[in-house]
Amino acid sequence: MNAIEIAGLCKQFSGKRMTKVDALKGLTLTITAGEVFGFLGPNGAGKSTTIKLVMGLLRPTSGTAMIMGVDVSQAKSRQKVGFLPENPAFYDYLSAEEYIAFVGSQFGMESVLLAQRSEEVLKCLDLWEARKRSMRGYSKGMVQRVGLAQALVHDPDVYILDEPMSGLDPIGRALVKDIILDLKKRGKCVFFSTHITDDVEKVCDRVGVINKGELLVVENVETILQRGVGGYSVLVMNPDGKKEEQFVDNADLQAFIQQSSSNHQSIEQIVPRRKDMESFFLEIVAQ
Amino acid sequence: MVSIIRITLKGIFRDRVFQGIMVTACAFLLIPVVASLSMRQVSELSLTLSLSLISFILLLLAVFLGGTSLWKDIERRYTFSVLGLPISRQSYLIGRFGGTALFVLLAAAVLGIAASAVVFYTSTFYPPERPILWSTMTLCILFDALKYILLIAVAFLLSTVSTSFFLPVFGTIATFLAGGVTQQVYEYVNSQSADKLSPLVRQVATGLYYLLPNFGSFDLKVNAIYGLPLPYNGLLLTVTYFVVYTGILLSVAAAIFARREMR
Amino acid sequence: MIRIASSGVVFLVLYVLLLPPFTSYLKNKPFVEKLGYVPTVSVLKSVASDQKELVAASLVLKVLMYFGGLMDKSDNQFVVPPDYQSMSRLLHGAVKLDPYNMDAYYFAQSFLTWDVKQFKLANDLLDYGMKYRTWDWYLPFFAGFNSAYFLHDSKKAADYYKQAGELSGSDLYKSLAGRYMQESGQTDMAIAYLSTMANGEKNPVLKRTYLTRLTAFMEVRRIEVARNRFREKCGVAPVTVAELVAAGLLSRLPVDPYGGKFYFEPDGKISTTSKFAFGVVKK
Repeated sequence: MNAIEIAGLCKQFSGKRMTKVDALKGLTLTITAGEVFGFLGPNGAGKSTTIKLVMGLLRPTSGTAMIMGVDVSQAKSRQKVGFLPENPAFYDYLSAEEYIAFVGSQFGMESVLLAQRSEEVLKCLDLWEARKRSMRGYSKGMVQRVGLAQALVHDPDVYILDEPMSGLDPIGRALVKDIILDLKKRGKCVFFSTHITDDVEKVCDRVGVINKGELLVVENVETILQRGVGGYSVLVMNPDGKKEEQFVDNADLQAFIQQSSSNHQSIEQIVPRRKDMESFFLEIVAQ
Repeated sequence: MVSIIRITLKGIFRDRVFQGIMVTACAFLLIPVVASLSMRQVSELSLTLSLSLISFILLLLAVFLGGTSLWKDIERRYTFSVLGLPISRQSYLIGRFGGTALFVLLAAAVLGIAASAVVFYTSTFYPPERPILWSTMTLCILFDALKYILLIAVAFLLSTVSTSFFLPVFGTIATFLAGGVTQQVYEYVNSQSADKLSPLVRQVATGLYYLLPNFGSFDLKVNAIYGLPLPYNGLLLTVTYFVVYTGILLSVAAAIFARREMR
Repeated sequence: MIRIASSGVVFLVLYVLLLPPFTSYLKNKPFVEKLGYVPTVSVLKSVASDQKELVAASLVLKVLMYFGGLMDKSDNQFVVPPDYQSMSRLLHGAVKLDPYNMDAYYFAQSFLTWDVKQFKLANDLLDYGMKYRTWDWYLPFFAGFNSAYFLHDSKKAADYYKQAGELSGSDLYKSLAGRYMQESGQTDMAIAYLSTMANGEKNPVLKRTYLTRLTAFMEVRRIEVARNRFREKCGVAPVTVAELVAAGLLSRLPVDPYGGKFYFEPDGKISTTSKFAFGVVKK
């Protein structure tokens, strides 16, 4: 079963003076169970709109979306989903621990299991010390981490995360990447939006690029990185001890190595010259 | 839904609403002093003042808790996180309503106890002409609370169509005022003295009479203050009216809220 | 910081200076203005909504405080005559809002009869109240007294007193009805009425007005007893009250608490120059 199936999803907002704004134009996308999918696009591209449609927060103008085979208009479609909204806000009069307990109860978790999982996620996201304090006093990063904790607590199969790295410091970002990689290892499906290409490169299996409400491309991250390889940058040391960097095409690499050894040059370093995710993204969006 | 109710109650308590009520309830201490100004009905006057004070506090609660509950959730973007859980819009709405209504009941109970203490105190010093019927007083406060719970349902309905708190808050106040006079207006419009009114005005007034809530029958103050017998059949009808009217309001509110876009 | 503090001090000084003239201005405002222009009952009824009892009680308290304020100013003497018309209007409004409000009936009927002489109006009000306060013997008791003492309608008075007797379970009120025809009966009735009123009264200002009137009637009773004995002894009626003292039938000259002098009317009835009411002191 596919984790998320989106078919011909359109969303039109009525703008000022009776104008219509197409926020999303006919998005069709399938995300399989166990894959980590990065949803990449500039600000205002339609990422959040897509996620809100999938979470049932907005109603599609046309088209359908399903999570684990259940139409998103039904509340039970969210039963196996951990959702992190963009710049989340939670009942700030509650403490992190109380909110996690509330979320767990909404998913029908057993109290013993809930207590155990709550402790795990709060410790994992470094909220254990602050768990009893009301969230009113939390920093932006802490609230973001509460958002992740509440998405993780019931150990769902599908994770839908809207800008999971935003508002976090470098340590937090690294933590989130580790968490996503761990989820991937455990065969969970993660669908997250971002505008930071580096995030996608590090953790995603596949990436979709969206701009102005249109899905421009869906591609394997591996393929992008591979396809972009435009040869190697080779650092050779001449017999006189002088170092020299040379660019070698893919096909010529073997021959170059042989020639180097016959020239008594030693090869210090071979680095594939990759066309990275950022240039791929910029190229697509610029089209 | 139960956990939404619990969260709602927790929120109201943590926002120090209860402390606010307790501060306002200090006015109860003044009641015996004011009531002693009466010539012939000190106990009755202290009952009048106590019941009115309770009404006033419950009205404030209904308008401000009812009118801002949904608005605050949407404004502070709590809806994104809560409605992202596997909870239907309906049960969220009903849970929010239930929590607020429960708080009003709770406040009515606490204030009722305070009022009883005040009335008991004055009645020992100035024995009333007619014995105070505590059960009637309890019913009076209960029906008052029901009235304000109905008003909360109005506030919730207005909240579902509004993006600000102006409509819920002021619309609820307007509904409260209108609901208190619809019966009089209706009776006037259908009396002989209203013959000179145009039929259109009469039809509009009659239409509004059926549309707006009618708070007239929830008022048992006279019965409680002067120990008059209760109209039991009327009370049964009133309870039924409360259930049906609140049910309609909440159904419409839930239907609108279910279609509402969380942008 | 210093500037804020000093400006604060300046305003505080101004406030203290302003207080005395402000308070005395409010104190000396015309009384009608003080009593307030209360909207008509139908408007009040709509605005009062479910708080009719509270609004009614506040109207009554307003009248009471106004009246009490007038009385306190110069120990039982009015500097300015009370605005009885406005008081009556407010109390009538109050019972329209809350037909059970006892204070309103009680207070309205007391000044409507003794001070304003609107006996019919008072009894109409009491009749209205009896429709609601069906358990209350005070209302027919008042109405009975008014019918007998002021309106001289013995039939009605008997009906009211009977009703009061039945509701209260006391025979006194039943027997009063028949006695008003006699002159001595009238004074007795007034004394019974006034002591009932004074005993049930907690408001010190009103209690004082009842006790004053009661004292006056007790003095009348004293003169009546002495006069009757004078007649028995001398065969003729006395001409002045002083004669009774001279004859040793009155221990001391009776004092009218209203400041008047007792005298015999041509028919032998005892009256006083004060008409049982305080004169208005001219400033």
